[in-house]
Amino acid sequence: MTDAALEIRAVSKRFDLGRGKSVLAVDGIGFDVARNSICVLLGPSGCGKSTVLRMMAGLETPTAGEIVIGGRTVQGPGRDRGMVFQAYTSFDWLSVRRNVEFGMKINGVAPDERRERAARFIDLVGLTKFADAYPSQLSGGMRQRVAIARTLANGPEVLLMDEPFGALDAETRWLMQELMIDVAEKTSTTMVIVTHDLEEAIFLADKIVFLSSHPGRVKQEIVPEFKQGQRIADKEDLVSRDGYGTLEAHLMRLMREEGRGQP
Amino acid sequence: MRAPVGRPQRMISGIGIWALFFGVWVTASGLGLVNDLLVPAPQKVFATTWDLFFARDFGGDVLISIGRVLAAFGMACAVAVPLGVMMGAFPWIEAIFAPFVSAWRYLPAPSFIPILLMWFGTGEAPKLALLFIGVIFFLITLIMDHTKTVREELVETALTLGANPRTVVLRVIFPSVLPDIVTAMRQMLAMAWTYLVIAEIVASTTGIGAMMMRARRFLNTDEILSGIIVIGALGLLFDLAFATLHRLAFPYLRTR
Ligand SMILES: Nc1ncnc2c1ncn2[C@@H]1O[C@H](COP(=O)(O)OP(=O)(O)O)[C@@H](O)[C@H]1O
Ligand SMILES: [Mg+2]
Repeated sequence: MTDAALEIRAVSKRFDLGRGKSVLAVDGIGFDVARNSICVLLGPSGCGKSTVLRMMAGLETPTAGEIVIGGRTVQGPGRDRGMVFQAYTSFDWLSVRRNVEFGMKINGVAPDERRERAARFIDLVGLTKFADAYPSQLSGGMRQRVAIARTLANGPEVLLMDEPFGALDAETRWLMQELMIDVAEKTSTTMVIVTHDLEEAIFLADKIVFLSSHPGRVKQEIVPEFKQGQRIADKEDLVSRDGYGTLEAHLMRLMREEGRGQP
Repeated sequence: MRAPVGRPQRMISGIGIWALFFGVWVTASGLGLVNDLLVPAPQKVFATTWDLFFARDFGGDVLISIGRVLAAFGMACAVAVPLGVMMGAFPWIEAIFAPFVSAWRYLPAPSFIPILLMWFGTGEAPKLALLFIGVIFFLITLIMDHTKTVREELVETALTLGANPRTVVLRVIFPSVLPDIVTAMRQMLAMAWTYLVIAEIVASTTGIGAMMMRARRFLNTDEILSGIIVIGALGLLFDLAFATLHRLAFPYLRTR
């Protein structure tokens, strides 16, 4: 975890609402995402988390500032930045295997390598038994696993996830969070994960970037020191650690401060 | 009150209503309550249908009609599917064609018959043109609307996997709307049959509609009714064919 995989440099985003009106959603945000780290964007809803993530993905263009990945300024979407959305994005007409092969196929990866990599990532997310099923036969959590495997199999430098487990029930959500730690350890992928769930943020983050709302600014960058630079693979283990409660209380206070400022 | 009806009960009531219909018809004819020149008995109509097919080469007319529908409908689809998908996928393409396409939908296709006859004479061309005009603008609009409902996240997912616009259209948008396209085609094929009959009744010497108009001249009501039954049966068959195609081609829709 030395150099930055992703640099956000003084990025602002103003949305044009038509009829001469506009809204400043993101105001001069700057932070780094270290290579092979998990960075969590946290903040109350409406504070601009999705907008920041979408600018990283190249799906929105910054009004000012720039986002730099591997020395290049982001100009538009590309395979070096894979994105997982909250809504299900499985391609329903393709089996799980073909979903996972999709990115490699359109990028011209040879069939043998494609099959081999797909099998590896399907295994990583625990869906080997369902490789030939259609997404509509799977549960919500399994569909998100397909989306994660599909993105990772494409070999992105950064994995971007926008509230990926927001639609899942609590138990499935834990499992998915633990899966992400496992995936991060095994694949050394840099991840930026958006959430408004404090527990999820603390569990996943090597660093938390807390955004304030209206307009979105970096309020605080927080490294969960109590983890002592180690990721914790087990949710139960996490909440019983010394320091977990203190950090959660701190984040709660930040959330409440921001909440009060809301219209 | 709104309890669903089981399959056996639905079958029985479905057959029942038709049995009642034919019962009334047979009785009315049998008792002489209706003029049998205008309303021949059903058994006579069925006998005539049999006779038409096996003694008088009605099959040839039927094949001509089917050929016309398939040719014109095929041409309409060949234009409407790519154009509708492109209009639904790219707002700037919609902006070019939508004002043109939606205006045409308000012009009833049969109103073009006189001019089509003047332009194309009496061959196959005016009939095919009528079917084509009657179907294509609705088909384009339906396909465009369905294409617009493809979720933005699917498109954005493909973009972040490295897809270019062409790949997005061909590999995400098109396969995603394809089931809806087939449904739209099924609906519009029924409309094509309607225009076919109009074309054949107004301006044709061949086909099912033309046979019915010939029969009218000789007061052969049984043949006219045969024609109606055959047209209905063909419409039903084509509809079933499309339903089957839909079921076989999109197995992933049936789960859950
Ligand atoms: N496409 C858009 N057009 C106009 N306003 C937008 C658009 N996207 C987001 N916004 C506005 O930007 C602000 C931040 O939104 P968003 O990034 O979705 O927040 P979050 O993901 O933190 O909930 C909100 O006030 C939202 O209304
Ligand atoms: Mg959001």
